[in-house]
Amino acid sequence: MKAHDKYDVFIGLEIHIHLNTESKMFCSCKAHYGDDPNKNVCPVCLGYPGTLPLLNGKAMELGYLVAKSLGCKTAIKTSFSRKNYFYPDMPKNYQISQFEEPVGVDGLVEADFGLSERRKIRIHDVHLEEDAGKMIHAGDITLLDYNRAGYPLLEIVTEPDLRSGEETESFLRDFQRLVRYLGVSDANMDEGSMKCDANVSLNHPGKGLGTKVELKNMNSPRFVRQALNYEIARHAGILDTGGSLVQETRLWNENRDITEVMRRKEAADDYRYFPEPDMPSFVPDKAFLARVEAGMVELPLEKKRRLKAEYSLTSEQAEFIHDEAATAVFFEESVKAGADAQNAASWLSSDIRKLLNRSSLTLEESPLDARRFATLLGLIKEGQISGKIAKKVLGKIFSDNLDPRDIVTKEGWFQISNPEELEVIVKKVMMENPDVVSAVKAGDIRQKGFLMGQVMRISDGKAAPELSGSILDELLGNST
Amino acid sequence: MPQITTNWSGVITNPERKQSYIRRVREIDKNIGSFLSFNPDLPGSDTTVKGALGGMPIAVKDNIAVTGHPLTCGSRILENLVAPYTATAVQRLEDAGAVVVGKTNLDEFGMGSSNENSALGTTVNPWNNDRVPGGSSGGSAAAVAAGLVPLALGSDTGGSVRQPANFCGVYGLKPTYGSVSRFGLTAYASSLEVIGTLTRDIDLMETAFGIMSGIDENDQSSVSYEDSVVPDSDISSVVMLSVGNDMLDDPVARAYMETGEALRAAGYSVTEISLPSLDLVVPAYYTIATAEASANLARFNGIRYGYAPDFAENPADLMKKARHEGFGREVKLRILLGTYVLRSGFQDQYYGRAQKIRTLIRKELESVFSSADLLLMPVFPTQAFLKGDSEMDDFKQRLADVFTCLANLSGLPALSLPIGVENGLPTGVQFMAPSFGEQRLFKVARNLKDTFPLQTPPNYLDIGSLV
Repeated sequence: MKAHDKYDVFIGLEIHIHLNTESKMFCSCKAHYGDDPNKNVCPVCLGYPGTLPLLNGKAMELGYLVAKSLGCKTAIKTSFSRKNYFYPDMPKNYQISQFEEPVGVDGLVEADFGLSERRKIRIHDVHLEEDAGKMIHAGDITLLDYNRAGYPLLEIVTEPDLRSGEETESFLRDFQRLVRYLGVSDANMDEGSMKCDANVSLNHPGKGLGTKVELKNMNSPRFVRQALNYEIARHAGILDTGGSLVQETRLWNENRDITEVMRRKEAADDYRYFPEPDMPSFVPDKAFLARVEAGMVELPLEKKRRLKAEYSLTSEQAEFIHDEAATAVFFEESVKAGADAQNAASWLSSDIRKLLNRSSLTLEESPLDARRFATLLGLIKEGQISGKIAKKVLGKIFSDNLDPRDIVTKEGWFQISNPEELEVIVKKVMMENPDVVSAVKAGDIRQKGFLMGQVMRISDGKAAPELSGSILDELLGNST
Repeated sequence: MPQITTNWSGVITNPERKQSYIRRVREIDKNIGSFLSFNPDLPGSDTTVKGALGGMPIAVKDNIAVTGHPLTCGSRILENLVAPYTATAVQRLEDAGAVVVGKTNLDEFGMGSSNENSALGTTVNPWNNDRVPGGSSGGSAAAVAAGLVPLALGSDTGGSVRQPANFCGVYGLKPTYGSVSRFGLTAYASSLEVIGTLTRDIDLMETAFGIMSGIDENDQSSVSYEDSVVPDSDISSVVMLSVGNDMLDDPVARAYMETGEALRAAGYSVTEISLPSLDLVVPAYYTIATAEASANLARFNGIRYGYAPDFAENPADLMKKARHEGFGREVKLRILLGTYVLRSGFQDQYYGRAQKIRTLIRKELESVFSSADLLLMPVFPTQAFLKGDSEMDDFKQRLADVFTCLANLSGLPALSLPIGVENGLPTGVQFMAPSFGEQRLFKVARNLKDTFPLQTPPNYLDIGSLV
């Protein structure tokens, strides 16, 4: 892009995710989407006088898990602070957050962004906090729903190490995958379980950070990319003409594909942070750390690199297989059960994916398991069925929930590889199509394909293709 | 073992006695105004007689939640709020048979030492109705002093239990921070305050404290009392804070000296000490208290509960109007001060420095208690002062918090106890003990009980003799 040739681009992110916990951050109310308004509330999360916060230990555990997975130094002692600001949907008008002692600091992610070089993205900190409620404007009135108030949130703040909309989109997708692998969050931006604000600045090469613009209201990684690229172009345009930027917050308008000013910042907000007196510091004990350790899994980027190397996959194959942890598990189990890695990868990314989409099932829910999949691929490899039949078998596995070998037996779909049987079929085709036979013999070899097609049609696709071909060649030659 | 001498037999459980109790309380309290609400018949106030406090009527300061009772905090902004839950300390007393009969007046949100900052009622001192009962737990102190209840709960953020107890001639306990759950106590300054008790019966105080204290799963700053308690067996040395001649009014100074002499006579070793950081106590206290208050009171915005204006342009306007119209002058002043001291860039200068002073004071007191069992101090420089500004303006009242604030900044327990009556007004002193040393406080108070017997104000109601 033109802007990148002339300017250094700096992008930093503030990512919020809802943690998958049963209850809220500081009370026992259900942390659950989609219930009737103000159903999951109590005196604590409504900020009634005299109530006190009670730490959700599970949320703390998940916070440590993410911090660790992002390469952060995890806190030996962590504590909460009050972040003071007034907002109608915030019950206490302060948010219990972490300021001085977050769960993790100084992390590092090595991403490849689909490129050959690895890029280092530094993580400033990972901290826990509580969410606010929701305001719904309805004509003249404003309604408030506090179901979300007190939801456990984890905020991840990166250093301004990203360079483009594309990189940022890729980073966010990697991040979503990471937290889903860990099972800590659904991280759906359209459902609101993940939010991402970005700050972006451009400057002349070597001059360091430029004037920062904050971007909000981007409800998918794609919108983040679009908004950033829009802003990069806008900044470059202003800098090209010698203009200067204003520090401000802008909103992405997804209907018009542009960013719009939300507010100008005269000075930094003063949140008057101070230590939360209602909650003692948290010092993880051995049992806690053991639970965090037990929650660690092979992380997606590691897994992608390993799968690619270990099974000689293409980048695209590795990308697809590692996208969901369940797919990767299925893939490796299939290989263990005897499936050829290359075949398994391509079947997974094409036919199986289509069937899953059509049936709206996940791999785990579907009747296809690794053993059945390996058997199916084995049948092809051994020449017992053709690829085409295999697709029909796969369909039957999904519809009838049977083993592939049973399906093939029951349906009589084993490949015909007996030369005598094949010769009968080929001869029949030749007899039924004398004109084509003559044409081929006269040199129009292209028409041979038609005859092969007829062989397959008559045999219901079961004729062994190579053997049938050579028999056809032989018979065509013989009759000359 | 505490032997409660108070007689409350049948006050709640005997229907006739209960009727005469209610009638007498209403009669007496018409003059004193200790209760903001008196509802002895609310559902939940069963006539249970089980437990150590079976059927005992108790009063609760109106910044502590009791299901079904109002929770006004003495403020217009919460005038119509009914508590949806019960504070742990109250629940424990109820489980032991106590019956909450009403909620008592206080300085708005606990901010004040005269009860004159209440937006919802005037309480006067039962000893002299021209004088204040003290504050902020002035309603609870007045109710106990007048005999309307044998036991009342207050909250002590900077002396708010001990000072009114002192003005009204009753015992007032500020327990160790964390020993009594704060769950249900409307927060003013979270790191300083604790629920305390007021009573005329030191054994009842000890029993009630035993019931209320202990870890509470709803308050993460609460601690297990049994694991922390300091034994009372070894009280021998008491140190007295040396106080400048001009600091105390004469009757207060006399009571203070008499207490020292009585202790010596009783065989205690009594020596004087001074605390180098004493002058820093009040500034540090007000810096921390107002900072925390500015956040704690932010939740009152007229949206979910409490006072809301009739009309507002938008949510921001609603919050602004609710707070402007709902809070009193002193509350607004403290919120503004707290907001000021927490500003970014100024925290080191104010809040941070106050915390350092706090640490310093803790260390000074630790060193005091390394060689002494108890610290004797005045409670307040004056006896109960006149209503209005004539004797003590707001600023003087704040400076006068110096002796009480020490216990809050350090988290240590302190008990104020009546010594005598001069000019028709009670005098008293306070003892401070190391953390979880409440047993020592009860013991010394019991030892002084016969030397300085409690007296009763005019129109005292003896609920034990109701018919």
